[in-house]
Amino acid sequence: MAASVRVRRPPSPPPHAPSQHSNRFPHTREDHLDADARREAASKGYSRSTLSRKAYPSGGLKVTSGEWKLLAVVIIIALGVRLFRISKPDSVVFDEVHFGKFASKYIKTQYFVDVHPPLAKLLITLAGFIFGYDGNFDFKDIGKTYENVPYVAMRLLPALLGVATIPLSYLTLRALDCRATTALLASSLLTFENGLITQSRHILLDSPLVFFTALTTFFWTGFSNEEHHQPFTQSWWTWLTLTGLSLGAVVSCKWVGLFTIATVGLGTVRQLWLLLGDLRVGPRLWIKHFLARALCLIAVPTIFYMSMFWIHFAILQNSGEGDGFMSSEFQHTLGGRGMADTFADVAIGSEVTIRHVNTQGGYLHSHPHNYPGGSQQQQVTLYPHRDTNNDWRIVNATAEGDPDFDWEEQPLTYIPSGSRIKLRHLLTQKHLHSHDYRPPVSDVDFQNEISAYGMPGFAGDANDDWYLELESDSYGRGRGDRESGKRLRTLRSVFRLRHALTGCYLFSHKVKLPEWGYEQQEVTCNKNAVKENSLWFVETNIHPKLPKDAPKVNYKLPGFLGKFLELQQVMWTTNAGLTDRHTYDSRPDSWPRLRRGINFWVKDHRQIYLMGNPTVWWLSSVAVVLYAGVRAFLILRAKRGYRDFENTKVSKYDGLCGFLFIGWFLHYFPFFLMGRQLFLHHYFPALYFAVLLLASVFDLLTSNLRPKIRLQIAAVLIFAAFWNFTYFSPLVYGNPWTKTKCLNARWFKTWDFAWYVGSFVE
Amino acid sequence: MASTPGLRGRRVRSGAGPSSAVDFDQDDDHNSLYSNHSRHRSSIEQFLDSEQASIAMVGVLTALAFALRFYKINNPDEVVFDEVHFGKFASHYIQREYYFDVHPPLAKLLFGLAGWFVGFDGQFQFENIGDSYTENHVPYVGMRALPAILGSLTVPIVYAIMKESGYSTIVAAFSACIVLFDNAHVAQSRLILLDATLIFFMSLTIYSYIRFRKLRYLEFSSEWWTWLIATGVFMACTWASKVNGILTVVAIGIAVLVDLWDILDIRKGHSMEHFWRHFSARATGLILIPLIVYLTTFYIHFAVLNTSGPGDTFMSPAFQETLKGNELLLNSQEIRYFDTVTIRHKNTKVFLHSHWERYPLKYDDGRISSQGQQVTGYGHADTNNEWQIIPTKALPETGRGRVVRYNDVVQLLHVNTQSYLLTHDVASPLMATNQEFTTWPKEDVVSRYNDTLFQLHLIDAYEGEAWKSKSGHFRLVHVPTKVSMWTYVNQLPEWAFKQQEINGNKNAQEKTATWYVDEILSDETGLDPRGRTGEVPAKQPKKMNFFKKFAELQLLMLQHNAGLTASHPYASSPINWPFLLTGISFWTQGEDQKQIYLIGNLVGWWACVVALSIYVGIIGADLLARRRGITPIPEPVRNRLWNNTGFFIVIWAVHYFPFFLMSRQLFIHHYLPSHLASALVAGAVLSFVMSETINYPISIRGPLMDRPRHPQEADLGINGPIVVGLFTLMMFAMFMYIAPLTYGTPGLTGEQVNSKRLLSSWTLHFAAKASGES
Repeated sequence: MAASVRVRRPPSPPPHAPSQHSNRFPHTREDHLDADARREAASKGYSRSTLSRKAYPSGGLKVTSGEWKLLAVVIIIALGVRLFRISKPDSVVFDEVHFGKFASKYIKTQYFVDVHPPLAKLLITLAGFIFGYDGNFDFKDIGKTYENVPYVAMRLLPALLGVATIPLSYLTLRALDCRATTALLASSLLTFENGLITQSRHILLDSPLVFFTALTTFFWTGFSNEEHHQPFTQSWWTWLTLTGLSLGAVVSCKWVGLFTIATVGLGTVRQLWLLLGDLRVGPRLWIKHFLARALCLIAVPTIFYMSMFWIHFAILQNSGEGDGFMSSEFQHTLGGRGMADTFADVAIGSEVTIRHVNTQGGYLHSHPHNYPGGSQQQQVTLYPHRDTNNDWRIVNATAEGDPDFDWEEQPLTYIPSGSRIKLRHLLTQKHLHSHDYRPPVSDVDFQNEISAYGMPGFAGDANDDWYLELESDSYGRGRGDRESGKRLRTLRSVFRLRHALTGCYLFSHKVKLPEWGYEQQEVTCNKNAVKENSLWFVETNIHPKLPKDAPKVNYKLPGFLGKFLELQQVMWTTNAGLTDRHTYDSRPDSWPRLRRGINFWVKDHRQIYLMGNPTVWWLSSVAVVLYAGVRAFLILRAKRGYRDFENTKVSKYDGLCGFLFIGWFLHYFPFFLMGRQLFLHHYFPALYFAVLLLASVFDLLTSNLRPKIRLQIAAVLIFAAFWNFTYFSPLVYGNPWTKTKCLNARWFKTWDFAWYVGSFVE
Repeated sequence: MASTPGLRGRRVRSGAGPSSAVDFDQDDDHNSLYSNHSRHRSSIEQFLDSEQASIAMVGVLTALAFALRFYKINNPDEVVFDEVHFGKFASHYIQREYYFDVHPPLAKLLFGLAGWFVGFDGQFQFENIGDSYTENHVPYVGMRALPAILGSLTVPIVYAIMKESGYSTIVAAFSACIVLFDNAHVAQSRLILLDATLIFFMSLTIYSYIRFRKLRYLEFSSEWWTWLIATGVFMACTWASKVNGILTVVAIGIAVLVDLWDILDIRKGHSMEHFWRHFSARATGLILIPLIVYLTTFYIHFAVLNTSGPGDTFMSPAFQETLKGNELLLNSQEIRYFDTVTIRHKNTKVFLHSHWERYPLKYDDGRISSQGQQVTGYGHADTNNEWQIIPTKALPETGRGRVVRYNDVVQLLHVNTQSYLLTHDVASPLMATNQEFTTWPKEDVVSRYNDTLFQLHLIDAYEGEAWKSKSGHFRLVHVPTKVSMWTYVNQLPEWAFKQQEINGNKNAQEKTATWYVDEILSDETGLDPRGRTGEVPAKQPKKMNFFKKFAELQLLMLQHNAGLTASHPYASSPINWPFLLTGISFWTQGEDQKQIYLIGNLVGWWACVVALSIYVGIIGADLLARRRGITPIPEPVRNRLWNNTGFFIVIWAVHYFPFFLMSRQLFIHHYLPSHLASALVAGAVLSFVMSETINYPISIRGPLMDRPRHPQEADLGINGPIVVGLFTLMMFAMFMYIAPLTYGTPGLTGEQVNSKRLLSSWTLHFAAKASGES
């Protein structure tokens, strides 16, 4: 990666010619070392010439004071560009709908579920909280005017992180041993990148993401330099730990951060592989190298990531609209969702409520409304809230023809697995019933309708009979104990209900009934039931004969780890389910070409439209292609015996560009494998690497020129980017624009910022 | 990836070579240390390696393979699983009716041929699983015999692959037995399914490529060419059998690229000219010839299927008109101005419809409509589907000038309500991004004249082409706003009688915005227009360029293959396959509790998984050791492990991992090609574990082989036959145990079914209930 780039020698020394090197830099410093010291130095795997510790800057970062001043100017410009009229528009823009709303939820501590990890949202919330946001704005629609929201403070957070990305790019390139001009070029191009500006000026997660990606890259570069200098020093450990922390932060912003982990991981594997091949590094030392990295790059990010979720759970203590995604156990950890203890032992005659295990559809429910089709009998559904219509009585069905097996008189009879029972709906006195009618929505052969049938006093027929099949204990979440695998117990037993006559299983799935069923979840009897969807449990239980002091149970509340893992799974499935098309979504192949942007906001003849700066964007794509092409050509040449890679210049720039190329590739290519909705802004982390790669290609191409000319070329490029930025800037800031200018700026038909005819004044 | 010790390993330059300038092949870099001469060889190995023993082994294996695959092949005499499809396709070939399927035609053509050969008349349609063959007099045994023969022949080919790769006879028999006694391979080969053909051609491809590689010291000899071309031909046959066969092409492609990369190496001392010679030879043998073979199968396919059939509607109008008796061919007519027509959407088949009812002023989500007359998509014939085509230019009184043509701007008049079709910049009821379609009364048309203009974009048409009913697919593009009339499967609420929404799609090029004129009801005078063109009623099928037909079909096949995403109760995800976690229920019969359940031989499959992991372990250990300067494995063995076994691993991986990226329906039988490759790996790993000897060298000596080799021979001693014998016994026992599920006979009682359910994830039918009396 950043390896082996520190040597600076005149390009291409003639092969086998006596090198000037030893004369210019005699190994005087080692002469005074004795043989033992030299051997020790060699065993650590660094070259002799780096023995000098004097004047080695931390992270290999040699930045002069003049450059610091230059950097200050760049930052001031970036501040100006990013913060210009940040309070406009004073209404909701694009995904502020979501992320603003999440901030409100945090402040009101109402539970919600989002596909992204919490760090960036927590930061935004913090900004809002400090400036006194009370969480009462609903962020309902794009274009809704803000009232009593410190939205400027909330927007400032991503904006400032966006600004901070600029000096990071400068320092990273300097640490990668590029020239100051090159670093200046990269930071200027990023400053004037319209897409990054637009994205960082609103309450969105991508700016924090890009910032932490840049931060990780910087720390990792510093660590690689330290590694070359001397491992296991204090500053080596510092850089390594910082890399780990920053990795944790990236992945806590968005899961896209996993690509950054992959980039650093690949670099680590490479380092370890090189160390393994170095026979001077003994097994013990190698294991030390390995463990240090495992600790800082695996353990530290994991702990960081989990602690973010710890904070997340600590804040969101109350019930909210995210409840429905979580399991019943999880829901009972939220305020306002708790439940009193309930009797543990279920017996014939118990009044129970029954819940579905796999979906969050809720309780087995019936109400005095009939199916419009099929048997036209009373509906049976799943209903998510507590209600007296959820109450059922378990009636023994083995006593033939006995309408009321006398559970009030008889001794308490527990219900073992295999019992034949009926379920009587308490309010309507009908029985849970199934027969050979197709269900209303899932109209397929292997599903039967479930209804409630009967009348008060009617004992019911054989179609009301069900066999109770208890799952062997500890199904799934380890809720059971030995006893509850044998007889039915509240909350601890998980069971299936098999219809006695047709052999189908009571079943439910995520299918909603139409309006006549109040959009409750469909319940059917399924002959090919997926096991997970035919599992049920008893949530509450009352029996008149149970003494007051009979054993009671409640949900086993999940610990932090259980909640954490469950939420990860929910996030994953929700994320994978985001497959609907969006008007402005795009596929990854269109990103490097900048084929199309995203309409963020339109109001009052002004528009904000996410679009990159074509100069920066296309030049960076060209740099990527150029590097890949040249590298492939060099590999072919090497195969035919040319020794290009022995040239120090080639090897330096190959290491440098290779690292950035891999960063670009790993932040870009995986999107091709994703089926979910994708947007242009998913390309930003890759764009960051592409711009750095562009700068290093510039560094290579101008390496033989005089500094003055190099600076002039850089100035031309910066000016081109600046001009292009101003050309499209009305779309960034939502400034007034004339229709002619707008139409002129549509260089391609696919740039559809003017489809909204009349969004700009004539 | 070579069949023989190859070119990849690390070079240990001995420097002692007589001609060090051409010392490029590290095969040479071993010394007599590695060789053991036949005099040390155990007698059992010597016996097994003899030609007679090998022939006897092949004979036994082949005979067993035929026996196991033909045993009760007539049972069941009912349609099983996908015979529904492939049997039907065979009858289409015999009836010469055009059909459409996602798989290339070769294997299905062979079924058609087999059916024709045994006298199947193609009348039986294979409608449902469980339809009786005997009652319908279908000679199904003859058709099932084809995959059974090919499946049986696969076994000796597997043996030959291992033998050619230089493994001991007993190891080769081991690999062959894994395939021979595999319940999944047997079940799949006994039915009218494509996989047996696919696997047969795939194993032939592997065999030919190995033969080709063994001739590398005799490059460009006639034998070399023969095996190169054989590889190409068999590869094409694999691909033409089933669409997954493309993976075989990829696997061979990877091997060839590695091979070429080695030839390119400067240290081989070849000139670039020499490299290009090799390159073009492979391009001919492995790209050009396979392409010709592949195209030929399609050529035959089109030549056979020359009559209209169930596949017509998938194809473009031009294609359909090449089929005899096609509706388009018979009924397509030019449309003239003032004709009254019905217009139908190509994908959803709804008619363009309008009625007096109006859009509600306000929708549920608070948006406002124009309250204009509703325009919807309606699935059934109705007088409200009638539209008249009104010109926007002056027409001549009579003649060809009255024909509607490409790019003409027209108005559409709804006949029943006497109003013009119109669209404007108002959001449609269900999609806020699309434009609402409505109509405007004829009397008041002046006020909205421009909004009623639509331009006719005929698909794939030339300037001035006439618009035809049925075949003239078109998009209707609104002139002022450039939106395209579009519909999709989404119902409007009650106020529009749950009819389908029609709206204006802003993407004027939208592919799904394609419509056609279903029928010309009457012309200007209200007369039936049929026969006005005065053409001869019996039209001849049109000609179409073969390559155009091929391109169209190939594209459709790819699209439909990707579109097979509906869930199936027995579909499974690839991660389950090597461990044999789930099978497929092919067929059941209630009375005798018989069933066919596609499941592999547990012993064989798990042995393969173990072998794969051992291989990865060996390679990993070897890499680490070499990195630390230790060379634990002798060079010839190591080369065999990397190159030959590595080739098998590539085949396994290439036939397996791509499925993880596919979102279509996947079944365990998609793993069978990979299973065969893993059987090869298992043999190689067994050989490595049992002994550090292999037959070496195995490449044919030629002028390019610069130094005499120090040969060695595989020697597993007495342990080999014992271990393999025991293993085969276990496999056979397991095979017999599951056999009732494979052959669908005899019927099983509930308890027996329970005992055969070796893994709890197998979903067998007729299982005895654990509780209750059912």
